[in-house]
Amino acid sequence: MTKDVIIRFVGSAGDGLVSLGDLFSKILKKHNFNVLGFRSYQSVIRGGYNEYQIRASTDEVLSVGEDADIIVLLNKHVAGIHRTRVNSNAMVIYDNDYIDLDELEYPENIKKLPIPLAAITKDISKLKVLKNIVGFGAISIILGLDETLVKEVIFEQFGQKGEEIIFTNYEALEKGDKFATENNWPVKWEKHKYEKAQQMIITGNEALALGMISAGLKFYSGYPMTPATSIVHYLTKHLPTLGMIVKQTEDEIAAVGMAIGAAYCGARAATGTSGGGFSLMTELIGMAGIEEIPLVVINSQRAGPSTGMATKTEQADLFQAYGVSQGEFPKVIMAPSSVLEAFQVGIDAVEISEKYQVVVIILLDLYLSEQIATIRKLDLVRENKRYEILENPDENYIRYKITEKGVSSRTLPGTKNGMFFTGSSERNEQGTSLASTLAGLPETLPIREEMVKKRMRKLDYILEELEKPKVFGEENTPITLVSWGSTKYIVREAIKLLKIEGISANQLHVKHINPFHTKEISEILEQAKEVLCIEQNYTGQMKDFIRMKTGFNIEHNLRRWDGEPIVPSQIISKVKEVLKIE
Amino acid sequence: MSDDFNFVIKDYESNFKPTWCPGCGNFSQWRAIRQALIELEIPPEEVVAVSGIGCSSHMPNFLKVYGLQTLHGRGIPVATGIRLANPELTVLVYAGDGDIYGIGGNHFLHACRRNVDIISIVSNNFVYGLTTGQASPTTPVGTTTRTTPRGSIENPINPIAVALSAGATFVARGFSGDLKHLTYVIKEAIDHRGFAFVDIYSPCITFNRNQTFNYFREKVYKVEETEHDKEDFYAALDLSNQRFMKDNLPIGIFYQIEHKTTYEERDFTLNQGIIPAHASLDITKEQIEAITKEFY
Repeated sequence: MTKDVIIRFVGSAGDGLVSLGDLFSKILKKHNFNVLGFRSYQSVIRGGYNEYQIRASTDEVLSVGEDADIIVLLNKHVAGIHRTRVNSNAMVIYDNDYIDLDELEYPENIKKLPIPLAAITKDISKLKVLKNIVGFGAISIILGLDETLVKEVIFEQFGQKGEEIIFTNYEALEKGDKFATENNWPVKWEKHKYEKAQQMIITGNEALALGMISAGLKFYSGYPMTPATSIVHYLTKHLPTLGMIVKQTEDEIAAVGMAIGAAYCGARAATGTSGGGFSLMTELIGMAGIEEIPLVVINSQRAGPSTGMATKTEQADLFQAYGVSQGEFPKVIMAPSSVLEAFQVGIDAVEISEKYQVVVIILLDLYLSEQIATIRKLDLVRENKRYEILENPDENYIRYKITEKGVSSRTLPGTKNGMFFTGSSERNEQGTSLASTLAGLPETLPIREEMVKKRMRKLDYILEELEKPKVFGEENTPITLVSWGSTKYIVREAIKLLKIEGISANQLHVKHINPFHTKEISEILEQAKEVLCIEQNYTGQMKDFIRMKTGFNIEHNLRRWDGEPIVPSQIISKVKEVLKIE
Repeated sequence: MSDDFNFVIKDYESNFKPTWCPGCGNFSQWRAIRQALIELEIPPEEVVAVSGIGCSSHMPNFLKVYGLQTLHGRGIPVATGIRLANPELTVLVYAGDGDIYGIGGNHFLHACRRNVDIISIVSNNFVYGLTTGQASPTTPVGTTTRTTPRGSIENPINPIAVALSAGATFVARGFSGDLKHLTYVIKEAIDHRGFAFVDIYSPCITFNRNQTFNYFREKVYKVEETEHDKEDFYAALDLSNQRFMKDNLPIGIFYQIEHKTTYEERDFTLNQGIIPAHASLDITKEQIEAITKEFY
């Protein structure tokens, strides 16, 4: 039997929602569940209304789901707001000393589970956040969790804080457990023995960081900006182990500038930000492009324009990435769709940037960056090798030699005979600028032509290395769903649910935005019956992008731009609307 | 000079001849940089010359070292990245007043406080030359330029005072008209442990009729020939506050302290002698375990 549960913690900033959500996700993972967690929050440090929703299943988890089975209300303020979000068959856990659900007019048929969390906690310690652990104890009864495993996670989390903290937490856990047992709380699943979990539980940003580390990342620079900042946090924490440089800079221009300097020297380098910082970086991204310096730039998209909604998700920077910086240069753009794929994209981006001496842009979105998910154990061991770096050049070394693939051998500063000049201006093979005394001379015109071609044809060779898009699911379905970025698995869930209703749909997911698999994507779309493009923006950027590249105009579109991730039910209704199914 | 160092001025000179106007102040800086590198016995392959955009920023074109011209104002961050990735290199940033004090001003402030061991040389001609003569951050009040036809109404920046207050550990000024002294200042700057900043009075012979070679020749005097104590912060600050149009103008090393640790010395990784540019790309089982433990 498949077990599948959705738990939603609702609180304010300052309630410890993030740590409690992460902790409970880890507890469920320890019980060998597949887990996906995502928090919906506001740009405030104290107060406000936040949710942390966790879905756990013995089956694959494709989305955080919609209606919560178990809801934990952490204060009166949020309980009031949450009323409209409650579905009728939910179990609602709340502190009845502070919250009166009748007064708040909660629906009649919900299962109310009052528990005096604060009062129980007061007997144990002054630490307020401990009430969350009391709650865990109580939920454990509902889900049939193994006390030993829950304690194991608590120990791993708080072990360094000393025995007293550990035992206080254990006591809180036991009191919650006892209260639920004594008050005959419903038991959803019976207690049983769980197999040891082998999986990892990790966020999109962390998985991406691990991918880059695995590919030999030695330098990362950034300026704090949600939702990219946690990459810096993770790398900084482990910098002593990794022997790398992680640099917080004065602004995003300096962040990309430093990464370029480090990469020019031979260190595999990356920088990361969100749309606003990416805007500042654009001029130097173009410079890395013309100077052929390997560079990885991460843009984790959030709701724009401008400051937009800092803590909300969106996929509206596609054209910003595609059109980044003035002029034309080869830019590789990849959009990972899941935590697991973020890891692989981290590897590929670092590798391709050095192999082809190009800029690789990784387009994440907040929903992927910040989701926490269980994935198979990652293998970080790789045989990394260096590409096109000359250690012993002769005296006639030429940096920008025109080659078939467009890639010319480079030397790293410090190498004898390897000295060369490069600049942000167009140049000849030797590196001499074509912008000053050589500009416009009859003999330099063909050089300019060849230099542009040399750089641009790298994309042809890169395209051959990239995984080709394929249709997921059955053939000849009445509808094909097109997605990109983090919506991939939400669409998968919709397909799965549609199937149950007897409606067949398949999926075309676009991972590689540039270079683009024009031929393959055209063929797939031409063969499709109805096509529905699903994306998190207002204007339909992927829809327009596909039309620009293939000429194919996707007729049906589902777009969401309110800052929250698209949910399967939206997709299902849209599919029914397109197929005219009641 | 040691026997095995036999590089000469020509060895630091690229095949591309300078494109500056004949008589430009940048020529003597071109010479002074090369001379200083020879005197310090730094071979060309260990030098990276980074620049921005502007007349002076063409410098790396004319040097046979690792030359990297970046964008307007962005020499400092790129140079910082180079130095942090490979602290064995001598990293020079060479750019103009518009570049470092204007569009790149933010980076300049942070380079001063950060104390990464790079050298920032500013060819200060009080005007935008390459764009044919507009006001720059150092243009004195009242100066007529193409963007200030009724005279500049903005107060100019005082680069020496800014560098001092931002925490730079080496602050100096040179004059293009005194090659010997300029070479000395640049040499000391390169030799300095930590961020070194040199502002150079470098007349633009085409677009600046006010701050000419003759103007400076009459006014400059060397602080080395006075009682000035270069370790005295407040004395340096006083010296930087000479009224530009009225007083005599001190050149030389205003301020230098060696006791402040550099960024490289404070950085956890660099302090262990790791050179990120050349470090092994492999990751060990122990490293993997340490960085992934939290995910299980």
